[in-house]
Amino acid sequence: MEIEFTLNGVRKRVQVEPNELLLNVLREKLYMTGTKYGCGIGECGACTVLLDGEPVLSCLVLAADVDGREVTTIEGLARGEELDEVQKAFVEEGAVQCGFCTPGFIITAKSLLMENPNPSEEEVREYIKGNLCRCTGYMNIVKAILRAAGVIPQTP
Amino acid sequence: MALEVLERRPEGRVGREALTIVGRKTLRKDAVAKVTGRELYASDITLPNMLYARVLKSPYPHARVKSIDVSKAVEMGAVVITSQDVPQVLFNPRLVSIPEATYKDWRVLTDRPLFVGEPIAAVAAETEELAQRALEAIKVEYERLPAVFDAIESMKPEAPKLHETIILKDREVKVERNVACRLEIAEGDVEKGFKEADVVIEREFRTNRRYHNQLETKAVVVNLEPGGGVTIWCTTQTIHNTRLLIHEIFGIPMNKINVKKISLGGSFGSSIHTNIIVPIAVALALKAGRPVKLVYTREEDMHDHVSFQMIFRLKLGAKRDGRLVAGQLQAIVDIGAHQIQAYPILGVIAGWWVSLYKLPHVKYEGIAVYTNKVPSCAFRGYGNPQTTWAVETLIDELAEKLGIDPLEFRLMNYVGEGDIFWGQGPTVKTVIRSCGVEELLRRGAELIGWHRRPKPGQQKGRFRRGIGMGRGFHTSSAGSPVPGSVIDYSGAMIKINEDGTIDYITALMDHGGGSLEAIAKIIAEELGVPLENVNIITADTQTTVYDVCTHASRGVYAGGATALKVARQVKQKLLEMAAKILDTYPHALRIRPDPKRGQGVIYVEGIEGKEITIGEVAMTARHKNWGTIAAVDSHRTEAGPPHFTAYFVEVEVDTETGIVKPIRVVAGADIGTVINPDLARGQIHGGFAMGMGMALLEDTPYDPDTGDLVNRGFLVDYKTASAPDMPRLKDFTVFFAETYEPTGPFGAKGLGEGAFNPAAAAIANAIYNAIGVRFYELPITPEKILQALRGGGENV
Repeated sequence: MEIEFTLNGVRKRVQVEPNELLLNVLREKLYMTGTKYGCGIGECGACTVLLDGEPVLSCLVLAADVDGREVTTIEGLARGEELDEVQKAFVEEGAVQCGFCTPGFIITAKSLLMENPNPSEEEVREYIKGNLCRCTGYMNIVKAILRAAGVIPQTP
Repeated sequence: MALEVLERRPEGRVGREALTIVGRKTLRKDAVAKVTGRELYASDITLPNMLYARVLKSPYPHARVKSIDVSKAVEMGAVVITSQDVPQVLFNPRLVSIPEATYKDWRVLTDRPLFVGEPIAAVAAETEELAQRALEAIKVEYERLPAVFDAIESMKPEAPKLHETIILKDREVKVERNVACRLEIAEGDVEKGFKEADVVIEREFRTNRRYHNQLETKAVVVNLEPGGGVTIWCTTQTIHNTRLLIHEIFGIPMNKINVKKISLGGSFGSSIHTNIIVPIAVALALKAGRPVKLVYTREEDMHDHVSFQMIFRLKLGAKRDGRLVAGQLQAIVDIGAHQIQAYPILGVIAGWWVSLYKLPHVKYEGIAVYTNKVPSCAFRGYGNPQTTWAVETLIDELAEKLGIDPLEFRLMNYVGEGDIFWGQGPTVKTVIRSCGVEELLRRGAELIGWHRRPKPGQQKGRFRRGIGMGRGFHTSSAGSPVPGSVIDYSGAMIKINEDGTIDYITALMDHGGGSLEAIAKIIAEELGVPLENVNIITADTQTTVYDVCTHASRGVYAGGATALKVARQVKQKLLEMAAKILDTYPHALRIRPDPKRGQGVIYVEGIEGKEITIGEVAMTARHKNWGTIAAVDSHRTEAGPPHFTAYFVEVEVDTETGIVKPIRVVAGADIGTVINPDLARGQIHGGFAMGMGMALLEDTPYDPDTGDLVNRGFLVDYKTASAPDMPRLKDFTVFFAETYEPTGPFGAKGLGEGAFNPAAAAIANAIYNAIGVRFYELPITPEKILQALRGGGENV
């Protein structure tokens, strides 16, 4: 079947199988490899993308379901070389190590800040609990999100 | 923190004023690619005309393949390989040790699987879905054989035998009672030592079997080159050892095998060896004559690698005045179905143990045992976190029995400056030249409020808080003054481009901790150029000299020392050319970074006008045909110094649910000169999260009926720490000791593993302080806590 949707602001038309997952279509058919496979069962959050502005796990969404809708992946956040505030904070607060979970975290953080522009530390921790990171112990990630929200200042 | 450290450095060593880049917070070079989704990992590679592969794995823990019918799969258009299609050689996928310490018992594909998940056959097809369907069309007739899941059971005469013979170097070794290998060490007279002791305690400890859960599952892409060569992108901690192994198995000349460096989505030891999917994908690509991609699912990945599980019988004896006099350790190591590094781990367990505390009389016995489980490999700390947990638990107990403050007891007995350190077991020894243990313990105790901690078991009420500590270390590389059984050297090439920018080319992998960022800073510091000018090149085995592996917390220390050595050679050439141009002498020249010009500037101190940028020298060298200013070299460090760490943790135990929450952490690290302060702190945060998993959450038990993991490989039933489990930002303090390692680049040591090693021990000791119960089996689950509390507070 053919679906048509907006991916990072660009109209895309693509042939998919009815049982094909959004994650695989993004990665294998559209070469948007920033969205990562980590578990395939909705446990790790590495494949998080925005669907009509809401965070979804693209490993649990059928590609057919995004027909006519709008998808934002990690590749859609920066404007050219200019990073989004959350991306910038992740770079500057040392929130990136191996980087494999990073796209999922940044998309989740974007969603949080759209819902709640001034989150508390508890709210940040709670919101990102579905995203797993094995490198950072989350500390600098929490710091980066609070910093992107302007809740705390940049670490010198 | 780091700047403060450098400011107060003793005279005669590199002071802050002399360092312009090392020790300062800088932005990591790969961060922009990683936050924009542009960073490529092995599973992101797609090649034209590529096939997708899937692996058929044994559903039984022990079986013989009686027949295998692949005709349906072939009819479907798939390329299929079985054990008959791969070279019939036994190998060991980890090539970090010398051949005399490398036991071989692996095959690419087997017809006698020894664990659920062992590869039997593999297929490649046009799509992953077709590959999966073809896989399901393969008919295998198995003869089930009895299996064993416990190391003690496995050594009994009636236990099923896993391996008849294995290979050590070029000779066959008969396997008796499933013992893969053993190692015994004795120093002094342990019987005499225990007789002299006033207090002796002996305990048995059982560790968990932890899964790495690196975010990226194992992946490989193989391209075929004209003339029978292969190009490989894969999850690996060592591109050169991957090339060596593919050469060893397939006989392809090494100059026709190119392994590409590519970002690794975490590893923690799970790719210290060449993952089995790599030779499988090579075999498929060779048969298909087309590129092949193979990416494991999470469930497959959990059936691919796991930590070593240990049973320790540990006995320590001390005099009434607090001096330790004797120690005895038996370590029974459950290695799973195959050897990756069973023999080396027996050596390092002994090393970690004797390097924690001074023991005049020691006796050690290590036994590695086969079981029908996923093969064990290195997992951050390589046996050190397990050993440290046992030792630090018993040290706490001994101190209590002696009536000595556990902190003082540790200070009386620790192995420190001037002592011998067994960096990687008995064959890798060095003298400790820098040690911040006392500073870590004193300052950490002050910051946590050690002397105000409650008395164990005195609390009432639902929520009980306790403070515990654990100290430890890890080696920085496996370097030492003489060659040991572990290979340890690095390689680097540095060249100055015609515009004054620098290319740093190395096979050394960065797993994400920032080793290469730190090394770029070391190079920038030495050459006097702005950090932005140092480019870390994405290299491969064809364009780099050998580098053993990124493991053993050796990246910054050994890789950095190698880069520094090469940078000095480059600097010498550069200054010779600059001296010719400026009409002076190389040794009269200095270099400083000039951020305004974006260049390193070479100058004569005190004489105006006698200066030239590095770019101008390089460009002049081109026009005058002097050649490229470059150097390439290998380097082995003459030491493998310990970096020390200490954790002080406050936990809250909910006595109704049994849930333990770490609520406050003070972590101190002696890593010599701190090169990347924010990334170093990040290593410690991550080390603690993993330590929490080890202490409280993680295990992969087996179901003896199915012979499979109880969780079947599903991540939903393998819990690791998530964000809300961590202490709040203000409650996690990290500090660095003021030390300088004379053998390290700019005084630096490693950190990656020391950041983790004592964390679980500190949490366990904090639980004891809160509820008055000690646990000798990990993880300390809520069930165990509730059971212990119901049992009236008996140790379990």
